[in-house]
Amino acid sequence: MLLLGACYPVQPRAASPDREDVTTVSAEGDQVREGGDLVMGLSADPDVLDPTTSSSLYTRYVMSSICEKLYDIDAEGSIVPQLATDLPEIEDQGRTVRIPLRDGVEFADGTPFDAEAVRRSLERHLTQEDSARAAEMGPIEDIEAVDDSTVELHYETPFSPITASLADRAGMIMSPKALDDLGDDFGNNPVCVGPFKFVERVPATSIVVEKDPRYYAADEVHLDTITYRIMTDANIRAANLQSGDVQVVDSVSPTTIDTLRREPGIGLLQTGSLGYQAITFNVGNTDGVGEPPGKVDSPMAGDPRLRQAFELSLDREALVNSVFSNWFEPACSPISPDTEFATEASNACPPYDPKKSRALLERAGVHTPVKLTMKVTNTPDTLRLAQAIQGSVSAGGFDVEIEPVEYTTLLDNQSNGDFQVLQLGWSGRIDPHGNMYAFLATGQSSNYSGYSNEEVDDLLTEAAEQVDMDQRARTYGEVVTQVQKDDPLIYLYRQRNLTAYSDDLTGVSTFADGVVRLSRAGFVEGDQD
Amino acid sequence: MATYLLNRLWQSLATLFLASVVVFVGVRALPGDPALALAGEEADPATLAAVRADLGLDQPLVAQYGAFVKNLLQGDLGTSIATGVPVTDLIATTLPVTLWLSLYAVTIAIVVGIGAGVAAAVHRGRWPEWFANGFTLVGLSVPSFWLGILAILYLAVGLRWFPASGYVAVSEEPLRGLYYLTLPAVVLGTALAAVVMRQTRSSMLDTLSADYVRTARAKGLRNRHVLTRFALRNSLIVVVTIIGLQLGGLVSGAVVTERIFGLPGFGKLTLDSVFTRDYPVIQAVVIITTFAYIVINLAIDLLYSLINPRIRVGGSTR
Repeated sequence: MLLLGACYPVQPRAASPDREDVTTVSAEGDQVREGGDLVMGLSADPDVLDPTTSSSLYTRYVMSSICEKLYDIDAEGSIVPQLATDLPEIEDQGRTVRIPLRDGVEFADGTPFDAEAVRRSLERHLTQEDSARAAEMGPIEDIEAVDDSTVELHYETPFSPITASLADRAGMIMSPKALDDLGDDFGNNPVCVGPFKFVERVPATSIVVEKDPRYYAADEVHLDTITYRIMTDANIRAANLQSGDVQVVDSVSPTTIDTLRREPGIGLLQTGSLGYQAITFNVGNTDGVGEPPGKVDSPMAGDPRLRQAFELSLDREALVNSVFSNWFEPACSPISPDTEFATEASNACPPYDPKKSRALLERAGVHTPVKLTMKVTNTPDTLRLAQAIQGSVSAGGFDVEIEPVEYTTLLDNQSNGDFQVLQLGWSGRIDPHGNMYAFLATGQSSNYSGYSNEEVDDLLTEAAEQVDMDQRARTYGEVVTQVQKDDPLIYLYRQRNLTAYSDDLTGVSTFADGVVRLSRAGFVEGDQD
Repeated sequence: MATYLLNRLWQSLATLFLASVVVFVGVRALPGDPALALAGEEADPATLAAVRADLGLDQPLVAQYGAFVKNLLQGDLGTSIATGVPVTDLIATTLPVTLWLSLYAVTIAIVVGIGAGVAAAVHRGRWPEWFANGFTLVGLSVPSFWLGILAILYLAVGLRWFPASGYVAVSEEPLRGLYYLTLPAVVLGTALAAVVMRQTRSSMLDTLSADYVRTARAKGLRNRHVLTRFALRNSLIVVVTIIGLQLGGLVSGAVVTERIFGLPGFGKLTLDSVFTRDYPVIQAVVIITTFAYIVINLAIDLLYSLINPRIRVGGSTR
């Protein structure tokens, strides 16, 4: 076990002058050339290309080109129809969700896209044993193909997050013929409706897709092929973009982005993220995640005042600015301030106040400094962050020992409750339900801290059932207020989705979900691919 | 000879068996659950349980090992947990990449290493030796990941002589394939070239001062003839041994090189499988690497007799 004791100095820097969201590369009057082969450097290897079982975020990058969803989000983060023609009609106090569908659409294998195909895919998401989608779809009673272009979902109890779920992988519709032919092997040769269709995959190396002439808006698609090349190292991705071997790269490191931006011929897309990075305290995870919470024998677990003191010792602004060169944003709640669910309560942030922290510790009657061990992943950025946290909280009366752990091991520790404090993040979902319920409601699948508060449980259940958007936002705000008192998780910062591209490209988009959309990309006339 | 080969066969089988047990138990002793690694941040307990059952990870260890050996004997290495692709397919697509890369790197190492070693020995105390010694020092000291990044920065990004990443199958487009492999092969072959150079120089210096070389020279043979037929040939025995031992090291070197250059090879497969706790893939790569070590060592032993007829495998020297 490697224990780090060194401190990374927290040096506040000036706020970044340039944090405006840039979501799409526009042609600005240039002609887009038809054809061309685009190569994207992808920062992680997607898992199986099956919308039902996939659990990797990066699968969504590839699927955005080959597998359209019932809904999508736009540059403002609002939900818009994709394979549906309109937002769902909600009836029976939220128990019936009616979705109107596009007519005259075909899957890449020529099978017609209709309500029965949608029903088949949604049923598969809901019932397949190893489905990663079932929980996202809520308490569905049955799915009905009303006619060729209408599907109805019937719920036991209302479930408002369903529209947002259908704007993610649960909304991806698979060809029924391909499902018949391939069954569980669908992910090895996925067939959906999309501007591109799957060609081949070399595991851990590349995925190639080509333009699908059957696509209902094929005239808006310019490229012949897209190759997603897996490049896990941020420096290597940047070098490949500079050398012209790839034309788009995702997840640009905040430590190298300033250098990259100075390069001629390279542009940057940037948007805020729906996710967060947080510090999780083990307050009741004694028997593993999902099990009823038990008693953790430590002062930090037993007394919320100590966790509040820890939060007061965190100078988020300085941490984020010094470690991530001004590129990320401090966060104090799981609800992004850019979304329509943001309220005054969800945006509230306990100020940095080490004096108050020490006073709280004194009132709690603990010896200072309070010693604790924080597990973090062993990546350079996270280690620098951990050292900055260590330095920041020492002023508030804490002595943090850093224990770097490999990512897979940390997931295991997190799940088993084998930690006192740990730092990990969540990539974020469009609806707050996806960012809060599983993490904060008692005994839920991602409640790694073992947190349990009846009031929070009730509020989260209520919010999922409420149909009115403002009412939901208010309820989630109440949850944030309570969670900031209990502090099972301390939200730290929110990453920005940073995508760099070669400036002979146009039509590339990145929205708040972080997915780099290449379906309308093309090379500008006169430039070479 | 036949008895010798039979003995080696038994030893090899025992080694393979031990390797299979060690890797099987070893990967399961590692912290980290493949189902969790696969699920990443979206770990739903019900889904995890279904995945574990599907992968047979909920079975007792002995039952899992029994199934693994039974399948192995039938040539079935299982299915990758991370990608759902049969492991034999993964090996079949990645191994040729690493073999071509290694072959190219070894060729570079032999040509550069032996050439520089001979030059250093023949021109002892003059600039070729200083140059060769400097190259050895740099080649052995510089880690391949750093050399790889420098090569990308200067030769791919700066001068744009070579691609920074990518792979074209040599069997399909030989020239383009070799062009794509040049930078990785140079990076991978540099350390080996340094070792070969150092060994060649030292062996050549020994043989050049041997009596039979002096005799050959006294008989009036041409210098070039003496160097190639007498000195170099006898020096090569040690050099070949060193190359054989270093070949195994190329596999571990390929892990880093393939990752830097994004090559879809065996090394990258190995690394990725460890990170994702992809048990079937880790087991397969270890078994195959062990097998490769055994075959290479046997081949090197047999090669001795070709280079130096005084050595006979399985018998006494004469």
